[in-house]
Amino acid sequence: MAKIDLSNISHSYNPNDPNPVYALNPFSMTWENGNRYAILGPSGCGKTTMLNIVSGLVRPSAGRILFDDKDVTDLKTEDRNIAQVFQFPVIYNTMTVYENLAFPLKCRDFSKSKTDERVNSVAETLNLKSFLNSPARKLTADQKQLISLGRGLVREDVAAVLMDEPLTVIDPDLKFRLRRNLKEINEQYKTTLVYVTHDQNEAMTFADNIIVMSEGEVVQTGSPKELFERPNTTFVGYFIGSPAMNLFESEISSNDSVKINNTLIKTHTNLSNLKTKNIKLGIRSEFIKIAQNQNENLIDVNVQKVEDLGNYKLITAKMGDFTIKSKVTRETEIPNQNVKLHIPAEKCCVYEDNKLI
Amino acid sequence: MNKLYIFLKYFFIVVWTVFVVAPFLWALTTSFKDFQSVNGGVTYIPWVDFEPNLEGWKVLIKSPAKGGVDIIEPYFNSLFVTCTASLISIILGTLSAYALSRYTFKAGFVKNNDITFFFISQRIMPPIVLSIPFFLFLSSINLLDSLTGLIVVYIVLLMPIAVWIMVDFFNKVPREIDETALIDGCNPYQAFLKVVLPNSIPGLIVAGMFCIIFGWIDFFFAFILTFTEVQLLPVKIVALNSSVTPWWSLSASALVSVAPLIIVAFIVERYLSKGNLSGAIK
Repeated sequence: MAKIDLSNISHSYNPNDPNPVYALNPFSMTWENGNRYAILGPSGCGKTTMLNIVSGLVRPSAGRILFDDKDVTDLKTEDRNIAQVFQFPVIYNTMTVYENLAFPLKCRDFSKSKTDERVNSVAETLNLKSFLNSPARKLTADQKQLISLGRGLVREDVAAVLMDEPLTVIDPDLKFRLRRNLKEINEQYKTTLVYVTHDQNEAMTFADNIIVMSEGEVVQTGSPKELFERPNTTFVGYFIGSPAMNLFESEISSNDSVKINNTLIKTHTNLSNLKTKNIKLGIRSEFIKIAQNQNENLIDVNVQKVEDLGNYKLITAKMGDFTIKSKVTRETEIPNQNVKLHIPAEKCCVYEDNKLI
Repeated sequence: MNKLYIFLKYFFIVVWTVFVVAPFLWALTTSFKDFQSVNGGVTYIPWVDFEPNLEGWKVLIKSPAKGGVDIIEPYFNSLFVTCTASLISIILGTLSAYALSRYTFKAGFVKNNDITFFFISQRIMPPIVLSIPFFLFLSSINLLDSLTGLIVVYIVLLMPIAVWIMVDFFNKVPREIDETALIDGCNPYQAFLKVVLPNSIPGLIVAGMFCIIFGWIDFFFAFILTFTEVQLLPVKIVALNSSVTPWWSLSASALVSVAPLIIVAFIVERYLSKGNLSGAIK
């Protein structure tokens, strides 16, 4: 277990090229000991590169990595004492399940009794106990992934357990249970867990800190609540949440209000120092409700579609050229096609050049 | 429809079996015949069509002084040269293939694929092109007409096969296997020996089988690079021929020479049936 510092890390796979393309643009970050982190972003945004840099499989083009303030940038993977679980099951086909789980301990000369104890404990957690003596290659894909996961968790003293979309091949029911198990393991052993995913729900339910990435850039780091309510960029607003954040091209009207389609919307943001008049207003569909007795921040919309999604209703409405989505409870009655929606000022995010003001 | 399918299935199996087994039966019966039985018309069934005798087989173990050809020494020479050359080729070929599969090499315009092709190109060349260089090379280091010289030449011929098969095989073994082993605490050599190699046994078996077959059946280089001191089985079998073709001893020697390959085939087949080779061609 260790505090991991990534200091000014950047990486290009063709650094000697006259025009190198950076898979990771320079960033700095600290992963505190014992926390759960999720790296979230679309495919190809540099998540896996970041993990591989931490585990030592990739040497960064620039920057330093420190484990508990000790520089490990030039340390080989095998000497970093880190665990990594890949997206698809990686098992040692020629070994039994027990031998697979014991392999990381055997490589580090753990005693037989300690190995037995750890392997049994991990097998218990992952429901693999009855398969311990079976050849690993005979197991199903999700059981194989459990072995990979088990090999990652079998050492108690690892600096961190890095997981690269580890639950992709696991069925949803087991996935849910495993996420809970991982949380328990983290709470019990204070292991730093870093979880790469492109599934925001997975990230939100698993981590206490989420790192959102886009095109090799770390765009925001924060708790699930922060990311949801105050996205730093329109990308985060769009990427996090389902449906994505409502974003409207707007004009500044006064120090704290904007105009969308000639409708005035008050915000809690100070807009007096802005250079540009064209900005974007962002609001989550969860916060937009059918107006009851409010008398400001109201918009007249034309309801296009109402979808019943089980535990809530999703209203899709039009205001001029803008499309607005609003999540309301199932019980909410939608009176007719033309309704007034209320946009709470405190939940409005204003973006200049796609960045939160 | 179902009955027709079963009938056709068995019909083709029988036809194929006859096609495969008939030459062996022909060789087996011929090896027990004498001059009259071979030249006296079509005969198949021993003791009915002809009186079997062991002359054909005896010739193979009798010394030349007693009118035989004595294939025992060439037989073991062939076994020794084939096994040694195959083993060394597999070891060197596997190491080269792993390096070509996992590391990037670049010397000017030459890259990994070019190096792999260079290995394969050794087999594309007609053997005759290589005969004079090999002859001059072996004679310059005094290894003409020796088992060591033949082993050197066979390694050159067999290693490309091993490299070719194993590069392809290692390319299909996910890199994550090596990376996981590194993360689990192995150094790159341990990762190769403890994890990648055991996972590649099917590929090693296929490569080994090809090396043994190509090494065992080579006549050309054995013929050109050996004279009196050392002889290999294929050359000795050809030497059996004379103005009157001794079909009986030729048949016996053909059966003896094909025996090791049949044994290899049976071992591999047993391995195949256990499903252990299932990953070889994935």
